Amino acid sequence: MAKFVVIGERLSTTAPAVNKAFMERDPEPIIKRAKQQLDAGATYLDVNIGPAENDGEDLMKWAVQLLQSEFDNVPLALDTTNKKAIEAGISVYNRSKGKPIVNSADAGDRISNIDLAAANDAIVIALCSSGMIASDNDERMMHCQNMLERGLGLGMEAEDLWFDPLFVVVKGMQEKQMEVLEAIKMFSDMGLNSTGGLSNNSNGMPKTIRPIMDSALVAMAMMQGLTSAIVNPNDLRLMETIKSCDVFKGNTLYADSYLEI
Amino acid sequence: MPFNQKPQKFNAKINSVTIGSGDKTVTIGGDSTFPFYTFDAPSENCPKIGVEISDMGLEGVSEGIKAYYDGASTMADIAKKAAAMEGADFVALILEGGDPNGENKSIDELIAVVKEVADAVDCPLVVEGCKNVEKDAELLPKVAEVLQGRNALILSEKEENYKAIGAAAGLAYNQIVGAESAVDINLAKQLNVVTTQLGVDPKKIVMNIGSAAAGYGYEYVVSTMDRIKGAALGQNDNMLQMPIITPVSAETWGVKEATASEADMPEWGPQDERGIDMEIMTAAADLAAGSDAVILRHPESVKTISKMIKALV
Repeated sequence: MAKFVVIGERLSTTAPAVNKAFMERDPEPIIKRAKQQLDAGATYLDVNIGPAENDGEDLMKWAVQLLQSEFDNVPLALDTTNKKAIEAGISVYNRSKGKPIVNSADAGDRISNIDLAAANDAIVIALCSSGMIASDNDERMMHCQNMLERGLGLGMEAEDLWFDPLFVVVKGMQEKQMEVLEAIKMFSDMGLNSTGGLSNNSNGMPKTIRPIMDSALVAMAMMQGLTSAIVNPNDLRLMETIKSCDVFKGNTLYADSYLEI
Repeated sequence: MPFNQKPQKFNAKINSVTIGSGDKTVTIGGDSTFPFYTFDAPSENCPKIGVEISDMGLEGVSEGIKAYYDGASTMADIAKKAAAMEGADFVALILEGGDPNGENKSIDELIAVVKEVADAVDCPLVVEGCKNVEKDAELLPKVAEVLQGRNALILSEKEENYKAIGAAAGLAYNQIVGAESAVDINLAKQLNVVTTQLGVDPKKIVMNIGSAAAGYGYEYVVSTMDRIKGAALGQNDNMLQMPIITPVSAETWGVKEATASEADMPEWGPQDERGIDMEIMTAAADLAAGSDAVILRHPESVKTISKMIKALV
């Protein structure tokens, strides 16, 4: 098995500093955050430019070229609801270190992002929902099946569809947590890759608690077969947990310095 | 149903490491397949063979080896004959006389031998220490210093002395670092990690993951090499993508099959042949398990293994 793929989530317009840097095309804060995430062990970086309705294409191109030239063609997840911006990003993307990830498609309004990924030989994150969070795993797996068939029908490899069960928040949806974990097991049993915004589970919890909850959940989810997550790689406890789980799963060979590499 | 050949493709490859300088260099590693799986992809650099000579001259070597070096009276002569051996790609000088529990030669004495050998031959050089970690920590940095410009492989840096040897060979004097572990896959990886953390370029590291003579706990050697190649290629583990060099002769010429005289063991046949057999069997198995280079002593073994490699690649 391959190592768990950490997609760094810190380049997002939801962070005011990043939003400002995107708007002003100021490379420095972007590069700084990217470097912090890569040094901490991120494989992919998520580039969330928000809806970016006005200048999304230009902005995504700028961000892709900036990051890939600064960090040896680092692989990126292109994260926006603006399809044209994703296409523009891919048009300047260098895939020598990994295919671009389209973030994201779902089984509803955004299903055509699978087509976009297929047309551009990209990976796509496929949210197993249609507008609303799936009410149970029957519904989740129905969405999964629909999106898988669509991708395969368009000539994609199954491994390029990364299914997202949608991690749900503990405070409010505690009773749904095991269901999400069971969905991951079902993806895994089908041989599918999976990912998701895992830290959503700890939304609204105190800062000191979040790394603990995230680490516990990532360990349980990796046991179930989760192959990737969109997380904050600068959460040391979380990264230590992921690296340790990679050892237990045989995804990487143990060495005493395994936490440093 | 017709047979459809599906090549096993890896998106990873073993590092290519070039030893030596000028026109006389040798490159090991570089493959992205399991050993000799040329049906999956062509081999970039076929495995290489080094001829081992010792600072102790011809003391204690077998009759056949003695016969080959007949007339060689100095280390320079011995080195020239070793380099000229049919099938040889490089010369490996082992400084066994430095062992404090043996001859305990001084560092100055050993450095003089290194210089004599280096001046005598322009082929790629590998220098092996005396195996005592404290002595090697003093000796090998000096070896790295006198061999500046030769791009030599310095064997071996171990867990106990990696800072001294890794820094001298890999950083100060720009040689290739040989990281030695004893059939311990986790330690093999760890040594590569800490050597890299010193600042040594991963592409200037070669591993000696340890060896044994065939029949002497040898299965562990095979499974270790096998797992290293599996992780290097299958998991793209860049801390295990260093090529592997295996000193074979030091193991095989010390076991009873090679040391028992024909007078003591008449039913075993001629002593020299047994030594050659042990050396060839072990080297062939090392190469099949993942060694990118082997170090041998007997001219017959060198010739035979060289033929085997040519036939398989």
